[in-house]
Amino acid sequence: MSDHLLSMDEMKKVDDYLDRGFKVRYVYENLSGMFVEFERQEEVCLQILTAEARKYIAEKLQEQTLL
Amino acid sequence: MADLRIDLAGIKSPNPFWLASAPPTNSGYQVQRAFEAGWGGAVWKTLGEPILNVSSRFAAVSFNGQRVAGFNNIELITDRPLEVNLQEIIETKKKFPNHAIIASLMVEPQQEKWHEIVKKVEAVGVDGLELNFGCPHGMAERGMGAASGQVPELVEKQTHWVKEVARTPVIVKLTPNITDITMTAEAAVRGGADAVSMINTINSLAGVDLDSWNTVPHVGGKGSHGGYCGPAVKPIALNMVAECARNTFVNVPISGIGGISNWQDAAEFMLMGATGVQVCTAAMHHGFSIVEDMIDGLNNYLDEKGIASVMDLVGQSVQRYSNWGDLDLNYKVVAEINNDVCINCNKCHIACEDTSHQCIDLYTESGRPMLKVREQDCVGCNLCSIVCPVDGAISMVERKSTIAPMTWNERQSLISSFAR
Repeated sequence: MSDHLLSMDEMKKVDDYLDRGFKVRYVYENLSGMFVEFERQEEVCLQILTAEARKYIAEKLQEQTLL
Repeated sequence: MADLRIDLAGIKSPNPFWLASAPPTNSGYQVQRAFEAGWGGAVWKTLGEPILNVSSRFAAVSFNGQRVAGFNNIELITDRPLEVNLQEIIETKKKFPNHAIIASLMVEPQQEKWHEIVKKVEAVGVDGLELNFGCPHGMAERGMGAASGQVPELVEKQTHWVKEVARTPVIVKLTPNITDITMTAEAAVRGGADAVSMINTINSLAGVDLDSWNTVPHVGGKGSHGGYCGPAVKPIALNMVAECARNTFVNVPISGIGGISNWQDAAEFMLMGATGVQVCTAAMHHGFSIVEDMIDGLNNYLDEKGIASVMDLVGQSVQRYSNWGDLDLNYKVVAEINNDVCINCNKCHIACEDTSHQCIDLYTESGRPMLKVREQDCVGCNLCSIVCPVDGAISMVERKSTIAPMTWNERQSLISSFAR
C-alpha cells in the first residue's frame, strides 16, 4: 500500500472512532510511531504509522481541546 | 535612480559595494583603480607586522565547466611595512575623500599592540577599522586571525582593547570556522564593536593532484590548509549573516561577505540584514569593472520595486527566517509538469524514483511520452524542479491544506497536554 493510501486509511480510522463518540485520552510517540488512546466506556489504542496521519491527529487534538 | 549610499555604523560610502580585505586591496594603486571603477569602499588588506609569503598561493575549484566556483588561498596579511601602507592610504583618501577606506588590522592578542596599531592607522584618516579575527591559515598558527576569533572571550577582550583608543567605527570580522557564529558575534558586541562583518574564509584544501599526489596548491611538494571563498560559500555566509541579523544580542550593523558575485547576491545579503557587502573572489576572477553591472543592476531593481534608498532593503527578509520548529507542518506544495515545454529527458522521473518519493509517472498519450505527478504522493521536496534543465517545465505550486496551520513547536506543546 502506498504511503498515501495508508495515511488515508489511518485517518479514516481516527475519524471512525471520533464519530462514534470516542475522545482522545492519551497520546505518546516512540520509535514505532504514534499511539493514540481513545476512550468512551471502553479504551482502544490506535497505532499511527504515517506522517500525514500524525499531522492529522494533531489537528483533531486541537479540535478536541477547543471543545 | 535610487539612492545607493549607505551608512554602516557611521561609515558612509557612495554605494554598498566594498572590496574585502584581500589581495585586491593590497596597495594604493589597486584601491585607487577600484574606486575609479566605481567601488564605494575598500577594506585595506590586513595590516600588521609584515609577514613573509610563499609561492604558490591560490587554487580554485571548477565545477562542470564553471571556473572558480570556489577559491582557496594560503596568502597571509600584508608583507609591506605599515608606513608604506599608511602613506598610500593617505594618498588614496586625498584622491577619493568620499569613498570609504577601512583598515583591516591583525596583531597578537596584547593590549599594547592593539593600541599601537589603532593609533597609527587612525592618524592617517581611515574611515573605520576592521579587526581580522577570521583568517584561518598561517596567522592562526601564530595565535592570530581565526585562532583569536574562535574564542569568544578573546574576541570580546581584543575588541574592548581596540575600543579603548579607537575614534572611528570598529567592525569585527568573524570566522565561519566555528559551530555557532552568533557566539562570537555576541562577544564582539559585548566588547563594544560598532559592527560585525562575516564571513572570513573557510578552512579548505582545494584538491589533490592525481598524477603527482601533491596538494593543490603545493609549496615545493607540501601543502597547508587555506581559506575557501567564492560562489560556493555564499549559502553558508548568507545563513551566518541571517542568524546574526535575527539575534537580538547582535544589535549592530552587519557587513556581508562570502561569495557575492553580482547585484542579486548583494541584494539577498542586504535583505537578510547586511547594511553593505564586501567582494573579493568575483573581482579577482573578472576584474574591478564588475562593479558597474552591480551598480546598474541594483539601481534597476530598486527602481522596479519603487524603493528610493538601498538602505530600505536592509533586513526586510530577516523576520521570514526562523527556527525549523516554527514552520507550518501543514503548508503544502506539489510539483506540476508542463508537458508542452518538457523535453522528456526524464531527469525528474529518475531523481524522484531513485532518490525521493516515487511520484512522477511515465505514460504515453497519442504515442507521445508524457510525465505526470501523482500529487497525493508528492511531498513537495522540489528535487524534480531543481534537476529539470528546462525553465518553466516544472513548477512547484501551492495546494490549500485541508487542515489548519500548525508548527512543530505548537504540535509538541499540544501533544504534551495529552501525555499519560
